Amino acid sequence: MNLLRKLTSVLALTLVFSAGAQSAFAQESRGPLRIEITEGVIEPLPFAVPDFVPDSAAATELAQQIGRVVAADLEGTGLFREIGKEAFIANVTSFDSPVQYADWRAINAQALITGAVSVTRGGRVTVKFRLFDVFSGQEMGSGLQLGGTTASWRRLAHKVADTVYSRITGEGPYFDSRVVFVSESGPKDNRRKRLAIMDYDGANVQFLTDSSSIVLAPRFSPAGDRVLYTSYETGFPRIYLLDVSSVQRRELGAQEGTMTFAPRFSPDGNRVVYSLSAGGNTDIYVLDIRSGTPQRLTSAPSIETAPSFSPDGRQIVFESDRSGSPQLYIMSASGGEARRISFGPGRYGTPVWSPRGDLIAFTKQNQGRFHIGVMRLDGSEERLLTASFLDEGPTWSPNGRVIMFMRETAGAGGVASLYSVDISGRNLRRIDTGGAASDPSWSPLLP
Amino acid sequence: MRHLKKTFLVVALLGLGACTSPGQYGNSNGANMDGSDASNPSSPAYFSQTVGDRVLFVVNQSSLTDEARETLNGQAVWLNANPEYDALIEGHADERGTREYNLALGARRANAVQEYLLSKGIAASRLQVVSYGKERPVAICSDDTCYSQNRRAVTVISAGGLSS
Amino acid sequence: MKAGLYISGIGHLALIGWILFGGMFQRFEEPTFQAADVSILTEEEFAALSQPTPVEAPETAVDVTPPEAPAEDAAPVMPAADEAPETPDTPEAEAPMPPQEAPDISEADPLPQPQVDPDAPVTPAPPSQEGTTIVTEVAPRPAPRASDRVAPVPVAPSEPDTEIAETLQDAVQPDENGETVEEEQEATAPEEATTRIVTEHEQEETAEVASFAPVSSRRPPARPARPARRVETPRETPAPNPLADVINDAVEEANANAASTRPAPAGPPLSRGEKDALRLAVQQCWNVGSLSSEALRTTVVVAVSMGRDGRPDSGSIRMLNATGGSDGAARQAYEAARRAILRCGARGYNLPTDKYNQWQEIEITFNPERMRIK
Repeated sequence: MNLLRKLTSVLALTLVFSAGAQSAFAQESRGPLRIEITEGVIEPLPFAVPDFVPDSAAATELAQQIGRVVAADLEGTGLFREIGKEAFIANVTSFDSPVQYADWRAINAQALITGAVSVTRGGRVTVKFRLFDVFSGQEMGSGLQLGGTTASWRRLAHKVADTVYSRITGEGPYFDSRVVFVSESGPKDNRRKRLAIMDYDGANVQFLTDSSSIVLAPRFSPAGDRVLYTSYETGFPRIYLLDVSSVQRRELGAQEGTMTFAPRFSPDGNRVVYSLSAGGNTDIYVLDIRSGTPQRLTSAPSIETAPSFSPDGRQIVFESDRSGSPQLYIMSASGGEARRISFGPGRYGTPVWSPRGDLIAFTKQNQGRFHIGVMRLDGSEERLLTASFLDEGPTWSPNGRVIMFMRETAGAGGVASLYSVDISGRNLRRIDTGGAASDPSWSPLLP
Repeated sequence: MRHLKKTFLVVALLGLGACTSPGQYGNSNGANMDGSDASNPSSPAYFSQTVGDRVLFVVNQSSLTDEARETLNGQAVWLNANPEYDALIEGHADERGTREYNLALGARRANAVQEYLLSKGIAASRLQVVSYGKERPVAICSDDTCYSQNRRAVTVISAGGLSS
Repeated sequence: MKAGLYISGIGHLALIGWILFGGMFQRFEEPTFQAADVSILTEEEFAALSQPTPVEAPETAVDVTPPEAPAEDAAPVMPAADEAPETPDTPEAEAPMPPQEAPDISEADPLPQPQVDPDAPVTPAPPSQEGTTIVTEVAPRPAPRASDRVAPVPVAPSEPDTEIAETLQDAVQPDENGETVEEEQEATAPEEATTRIVTEHEQEETAEVASFAPVSSRRPPARPARPARRVETPRETPAPNPLADVINDAVEEANANAASTRPAPAGPPLSRGEKDALRLAVQQCWNVGSLSSEALRTTVVVAVSMGRDGRPDSGSIRMLNATGGSDGAARQAYEAARRAILRCGARGYNLPTDKYNQWQEIEITFNPERMRIK
């Protein structure tokens, strides 16, 4: 027993020495505690928008509407969640009074937006707003003041929401933008189609053509001032250039005995890349808008169509069935050799280059289902975001974060609607355009 | 002269009539039996109802089937016999594809018909092609009984051009 | 003689091994996780945490950027119907979550902290297969549930009338006959979450794959309900071996010797469990959902000084380092990290006061690599 105790104390001492050495070592080089966080949560960020403060009774309704549009914009991204007014403890009655952060923390509002609206005679509106980081107890950035006409109050609201969105997420803004699309009516075997334009959220729908002839796939110019589209008004599909403000249009690149369709602008707005079908073969051409001179970019016996420029204007992604089924290819903007980038099962089409330049959105058809997907420029990291009976025709938001597309339901009574989805695949939403709609094209951010 | 030609044509066509299958263009189109027009072998109604104004295609294909060739033979004969008519060949596709590709596919199909008719001696100046892609389906249910009817090329006759 | 030597030698080696390694196991503790405090602050104390200087009447907005109205669309071909700005439907509507209610503001006596094991989400027990009849119907494979919230630990949707809090708590009603006096509490549950983003395409994919798991089976008899779904405050597991006492004494002595040069005792180093608790606590508030994709490629290292009560000093939070993104992206990532530290630390992190010197200064690396497009 004595021996045992001696042994254990010897052992204990050795342990102590090592522990002591360790702790001594730790003492001397003891720096801050270091931990690494690799997992977090993804949840909509709760925010609060108390009613914007009007400067007069005349501005009350407008102030409220502007606040509602700001909240709807943010919540519509799927990244934010509005905390309803019924939960508020404090209320903002004056734009310049100090913020009681504790009141907003208590309801877990992480971001607070306060604003004020004033209306002057002559139809001018001024909107001021501030954004606060509640848990840090300070303002985020500096407040802004915006002015415009009463008729364009929605744009002011979108600009406010854009600033908030950009400051918090770091993404580029996109709410102050428009979408041109095809408004549809009538039964499936006798569809009436006409060009329409609206705010990105479905408001302010206006028509650009009547429904006397089929119109397809309008596309915005990089400046948002013109639209290219395909129309059957001559009895044959031809591409037209339409000026949005004057609604004047003219035909482009028509050649006798040929059909032209699927036009898209170059990033500098001076050229149009399109498909031309002659003798049963469809190839890709580009023409200069001012001179009108076409240049052939592909000459293969297969179908080449649906071209889309890269944001730097140097490359074109397009759809071709030269391998036997429609796949995606990238070639230089001056034509020449094309490399294939789609390799999964199924058929790929309608490629659209992201404004960020790093992704291609497309339509994929596989085993009877249609999908909207994205892939990298080399075809890797293909991700399918949606699945349905018929999804097609993606278009990118100005900041490259959201994709809008068309979805048509099955059956004899099938109708088409516009949907949007975040690039992560979350937040799939239908956009109410007041009727059936297809072929959306997103404008750039309005200046 | 003309009457002689026409009687000859009638006799020839009667002989060929057994070869064309009336079910070619689906059920809905055969219902409209305008007796007076269709009995006139030179009328467009006769062309569309008896000769057959459309041919169907296999999914994603633009090659002519044997059935299609037969119908087109009849069309060629009729067109040769009625030189005062021109033809606009419409190419169509079913809805199970993207818009631009279907426009191009319809153009291929229309072109396949055009080339065949050219090979049968129809003057090129009398023929035009257009593609409607998936924009003008004739059958709107969402299964292949309807899709197959939409995968078609239709030869639309119109009076025009030379009248001899 | 020699046999005895061998036996005692082996015995000693075994003893040494057991002392060296067995001690480690005994010192392992359950990770404690407490983010929702029972003790409640007064309004003043809470306000004192934020900036002491109130925001003076700020000057009117600095920048003036009037966006001119766009050129109105002149004479559109047809008059258009003016559309009301309807918010589009959200296809996936989960159980509606009630708005946050203000907590009661009153001092309460500190009570034995109810601890809840966070790794036990409220999911229905999977059908057990032991000794039960198996129904051979083909069951549809559970499709991944899409949810607004994505978190490392999946949480099933809670009852509609539960508040959203960080931890799970049962509603506690005062029991007239009860011996113990416990404060009335609202039922709370963590906000429902899934572990990854589920796209529509994925939902469809898994729904189609039928699994051959049995549809139903007899459940095992339920365990008698425990009086409260709480785990006792973890106590130091008693060392069954008297030798451990000897060792502990010796270690403390050594530490005391080493620490005698320092003003405050540092205590033994933070256990893994304690570090994990801190990491989990901050993790819950690190919301990367609103970060740009570039910010999601940026790793930031943030330093913070803590007060003795476990609350971070908001003025001390600073970014030490950022890799993988532009300055703007680093700024975004840093702000999200800062929010995480402040939000979950508002009531103090659960760190042992006797080891305060160990965690007075903390450097946290926020690496979002695993959070990218989950």
